[in-house]
Amino acid sequence: MSSSPPTEKADSRVQTRHVPLFSLGRVLTITSGTVTQLFRMKVFYFLFAFALVMVAAGNFSLPATPAQELSTIKKVSFGTMDLFAWLFSIVATALLIPRDQEDRTLYTILAKPVRRIEYLLGKLGGVLCVVGLSLLVMGTICAITVGFRESLLVSEEIGAMQADGHFAPDEVNQQIDLIRHQGLRPELALVVLAYFFKAAVVAAVTLLLSTIASSSLFTIIVSILVFLIGNAHALATGFWLQESGNSWVVRIVVKVVKVLIPDFQIFAFSEGIVQGEVVPYWLVGEMGLITVGYLLVFLLLSLLVFVDKEF
Amino acid sequence: MSSSNAAVEVENMTKVFPLGLRKGSVIAVDSLSLRVEAGEVYGLIGPNGSGKSTTMKVVLGLMAPSKGSAKVFGLDSGDIQARNEIGFLPENPYFYRHLTGEETIRFYGKLCGMRGAELSARTKELLRLVDLESAANRRLAGYSKGMLQRIGLAQSLVQKPRLVILDEPTAGVDPVGSRQIRDLILRLRDEGYTVFLCSHLLAQVQEVCDRVGILFRGKMRREGTLDELVAVEGRTSLTLDSVSPELLAEIHELAAAKGVSVLSEERPRTSLEQLFIQLAESEGETRS
Repeated sequence: MSSSPPTEKADSRVQTRHVPLFSLGRVLTITSGTVTQLFRMKVFYFLFAFALVMVAAGNFSLPATPAQELSTIKKVSFGTMDLFAWLFSIVATALLIPRDQEDRTLYTILAKPVRRIEYLLGKLGGVLCVVGLSLLVMGTICAITVGFRESLLVSEEIGAMQADGHFAPDEVNQQIDLIRHQGLRPELALVVLAYFFKAAVVAAVTLLLSTIASSSLFTIIVSILVFLIGNAHALATGFWLQESGNSWVVRIVVKVVKVLIPDFQIFAFSEGIVQGEVVPYWLVGEMGLITVGYLLVFLLLSLLVFVDKEF
Repeated sequence: MSSSNAAVEVENMTKVFPLGLRKGSVIAVDSLSLRVEAGEVYGLIGPNGSGKSTTMKVVLGLMAPSKGSAKVFGLDSGDIQARNEIGFLPENPYFYRHLTGEETIRFYGKLCGMRGAELSARTKELLRLVDLESAANRRLAGYSKGMLQRIGLAQSLVQKPRLVILDEPTAGVDPVGSRQIRDLILRLRDEGYTVFLCSHLLAQVQEVCDRVGILFRGKMRREGTLDELVAVEGRTSLTLDSVSPELLAEIHELAAAKGVSVLSEERPRTSLEQLFIQLAESEGETRS
């Protein structure tokens, strides 16, 4: 312990560390902290449930043609993946900010030289990393299940047709092509990408709601409602806006809802791919741009709420 | 003292919270002015709801004042540059319970822009300071209350701030842990940190603070050094060692002859806290 007076020693520790307008390093620190948090909260346990669904789906024995059987397995697998992705996205995002506030962790983070946009971006980035990783794992499980079933069905079909002895090689190939068309194709990766886009928009909406609300439960319930409306509002707005008997008030409310709630039906192109349809790549690119647009709008709205929020 | 020596300057600060439609508002802090000099330990005391935490949050930039201003080393408390100068330990902190002690310090260090060897060295130094080296790789979920407070103190110091703000630093901590935190605060003062402490534990404030402000219903009621605040005007007490009854009688006679009243005569007592600490320490020695 030195004998210099305290003030002198305090002044000698003057920091010159400059705080930049935006620091990617701080965003990445919060992102990696969020990923670690979600990992150690054992949120990936839901992947075991998904694997169980896959095992069950892979063992379906349906009274249908092999192609129909494969189509059903894909619909169940990818439908489950979609459900898990958006639900996980809502729950994980809704838990983060209110929980930080309840635990006062938010105070200690914002008491450091951290800008609020960096905090929001870091949290959203963390959720998106975990959702992306989960989708990769689920996609791999799906691919293994569908691929395994496809090869099994193809060899069974070839064996049966050859044993029958009445089929020409062309007919056999045609039948195999039909099965393969419903099997594991590279385009299915675009489905996983579409689910990621959808989950990202859902996470951004949930982030906005969690900056307004102070309870995780409220955020989860409202986010699910928004998601459901977002999936149905193309249909609903068509009905409400075209119905001539509706008052101007109803029409205005419908238009406001249409602006405020994202249209999740735009991601429905993925269902076509699952069913074996061919979707142009530019459409996927367009969806990517729309997703980025939604993310920017909802991040901006979240920031507007969060920037002056008092804790 | 010049204005540049002030670590915290709160001037005529008022904070009003609206209570919602038709419910009016509540004044949490009312025209408060206070000044914490660089290098001192300042204690803000008051009952629950007196405005201590609100004042602290305004100084931290977590809240904006409704009126008046708050400055930290001359910078507006809302200025992000001011956060470089502040370390903060909230009341009952939980932090991320999934992180280890070491990861926690590193996390907060990275938020302050620290990286690599600088951060590693600082992390080790702080773990040593708060005596948590042996628990560095344990997750915070397994830490006791006192350990959490100490790791909280360590994270608050990570970027070597000039001002440390502590909100009820010993809330819920047992007397031994409380004593460790008290010793750390005194050590921080010796090392030149400015400490701004909020507490309603008066004995603790009395032990560590150079100056104290007393807040009631959002207003500063009294402020000054401890001597100024607690000295009883016109009275003096003596503590004598091994005094005989005869000498005691003579002192009484002398006082009476001089017209001085002896108001009380008692044996000095140790505090319950002191007694507890002594027992805990002797127990520790016996075990080791």
